[in-house]
Amino acid sequence: MKTEKIAISLDLINRHNQEPNRNRYESRYFWEELYRLIAAAGFSAIEIPYEPVWQFGGRSGVPMNRYCVNTKYGDAAGYLAQLQASGIDRVAGVTFDPNLFMRNDSLDFYFGASGHFAGEGLDHAADLGADYFAISPSPFHGRVAQYHPDLTDKMETFTTRTVELLSGLAAKAEARGVSLVLRSEYWSLFGGKRLAPFYDALPASIKLDVDTANLFVSGISAPDFIAAHSGRIGCVHLTDTDFVDTGEVWKTPNPEHPSGRATQVFRDPGSGSVNLAQIVRQLDSLGYEGPVTASARQTRDPFRAVLRTRALLNQITK
Amino acid sequence: MPNIRYANMCHWKTIPYRKIENFREFYYEDNTNSAYYSDWDKILKYQSALGFEGIEIAPWDLADILPLFGSPESFTAFAKERGVEVIGMFHGAHASHDAGHFDEAVRAGREAVDTIVRFGGTYMNTCPTQNYFGTGPLSREEVQQCAKVMNEIGRYATDRGVKIGLHNEFFCAINLSNHRELIESTDPKLVHYCIDTAQISIMGEDLLTFYNDYHDRISTFHLKDTASSKLPDSVRFSQDPEITDDGTRWFWEPGMGELDLKGLYSLLKQHGFKGWMSIEYDGSPDLLASMALTRYFLDNELRPIYD
Repeated sequence: MKTEKIAISLDLINRHNQEPNRNRYESRYFWEELYRLIAAAGFSAIEIPYEPVWQFGGRSGVPMNRYCVNTKYGDAAGYLAQLQASGIDRVAGVTFDPNLFMRNDSLDFYFGASGHFAGEGLDHAADLGADYFAISPSPFHGRVAQYHPDLTDKMETFTTRTVELLSGLAAKAEARGVSLVLRSEYWSLFGGKRLAPFYDALPASIKLDVDTANLFVSGISAPDFIAAHSGRIGCVHLTDTDFVDTGEVWKTPNPEHPSGRATQVFRDPGSGSVNLAQIVRQLDSLGYEGPVTASARQTRDPFRAVLRTRALLNQITK
Repeated sequence: MPNIRYANMCHWKTIPYRKIENFREFYYEDNTNSAYYSDWDKILKYQSALGFEGIEIAPWDLADILPLFGSPESFTAFAKERGVEVIGMFHGAHASHDAGHFDEAVRAGREAVDTIVRFGGTYMNTCPTQNYFGTGPLSREEVQQCAKVMNEIGRYATDRGVKIGLHNEFFCAINLSNHRELIESTDPKLVHYCIDTAQISIMGEDLLTFYNDYHDRISTFHLKDTASSKLPDSVRFSQDPEITDDGTRWFWEPGMGELDLKGLYSLLKQHGFKGWMSIEYDGSPDLLASMALTRYFLDNELRPIYD
């Protein structure tokens, strides 16, 4: 595998949880220095987590949606020019999760807002020339259950409407030349072993994301998953973890912070128990040449995480 | 009982845990101080230890607090066990100047009041409408419409034991030219005022003059300092000016800026202010350090003037 093609996700910046110095993350200067540091660590491509929340409340310094990019750089081309001046050649992909819109008991609100902003995120990905738009098909299971205690009764409706939403996005993605990819988080209504029947109902143009840590948490073997879906892999996320969900944490409202026993679910790549070297070898043996993105989601030190990731990639691709 | 009790306006970002029982184990996962800012148990203990007996929450906290605690009442009980009470919640009255948005603005305001009641709070500090950029300048009719919404929400709040306090941001469509017009267009029995000491100074009001003029309308304060009083229109009316591109801070801990806060405390004494004073630390890189610095300044510089 050519490591120079591996992107790094900007989700390594913990934008939402409290920690000292996080106020920096809301200003433009922070990101523009970060791009240079990411490039210095040997990455020339990034992934952007598309987050509509920064559109509201004047936080446009966080470059995670079209409004923010347009406010600070004029348009996607202006943003790309800034990246390229910092040593980042391209945006490999954009991710989207709809958790923000699961905030009341109205499914019309959820599907309306999610559909609107996912469409905007997909357009943004196309404008940035991204290879893929990776979407989480549901909010946290526990968050849905919080606002819809009758979720079991609504599951069929929820599934049907999700398939409709994704089918519409798939057509749009094809028209705009972006690969639509389905994420498979362990906390999803359609995560883990629940993915297969749902995935079968979707248009064939929708590809699958191989997220190594999410598979590990679900107790699914990543090599087996890759082998089973080798023809429909749309992107790979090299993520790490030490956590296996044996207590149905996936069903809780805040599944990335297990309430019974606090733990950092996602570890910096190379710091957990996922055999990333084996996975890279397997992808090589299958001749996979699609997008690969490293992610240090939940890292407690983003600058150390960038270098840890580079150290890992240097080691496993010797 | 002192005349002034102290609270913090909550600027903590998402706190993902209620109480971490396996703290040492969690710390050792990566040996960083993130562990110290990850549960409400510790956040509330920091506050309590530094003498801040109240917390004013923000509406954007609800999406995280409610799933974590199950209900407003559960959060309130948890905080109370640690010596902190919920005094209220901030509210943004989006588009209240727009007559076509009247029903929605009033409905959202009433829902926020209902939420505050469930938390046991009694204050709803309310930004009167959205940012100036893209909205201002407001016509006289739009200012009156805004006042109409504030009166309507204020009536509902008053009936439920909640005081709404106008809280003006320096970048709000209600700005220097119509700030006092709005206040004077609202019913003083229903609509009060929360002085954000830095925001109104940046907007162009003189803090001491403003307090003297409106002391009988003041329900509470957001106390913070600034070194940027009287910013020009070109900054206040620009797009998204609150968070600067280069990291310039508008807001500082009391005593770290240039406001005459000792003068304010002399006036508080003169007018016999009684109530809650919320400290705000927006823009701080270290909320705990800001809280401790503020406590030192309060105890050594301000409380000797009036307590």
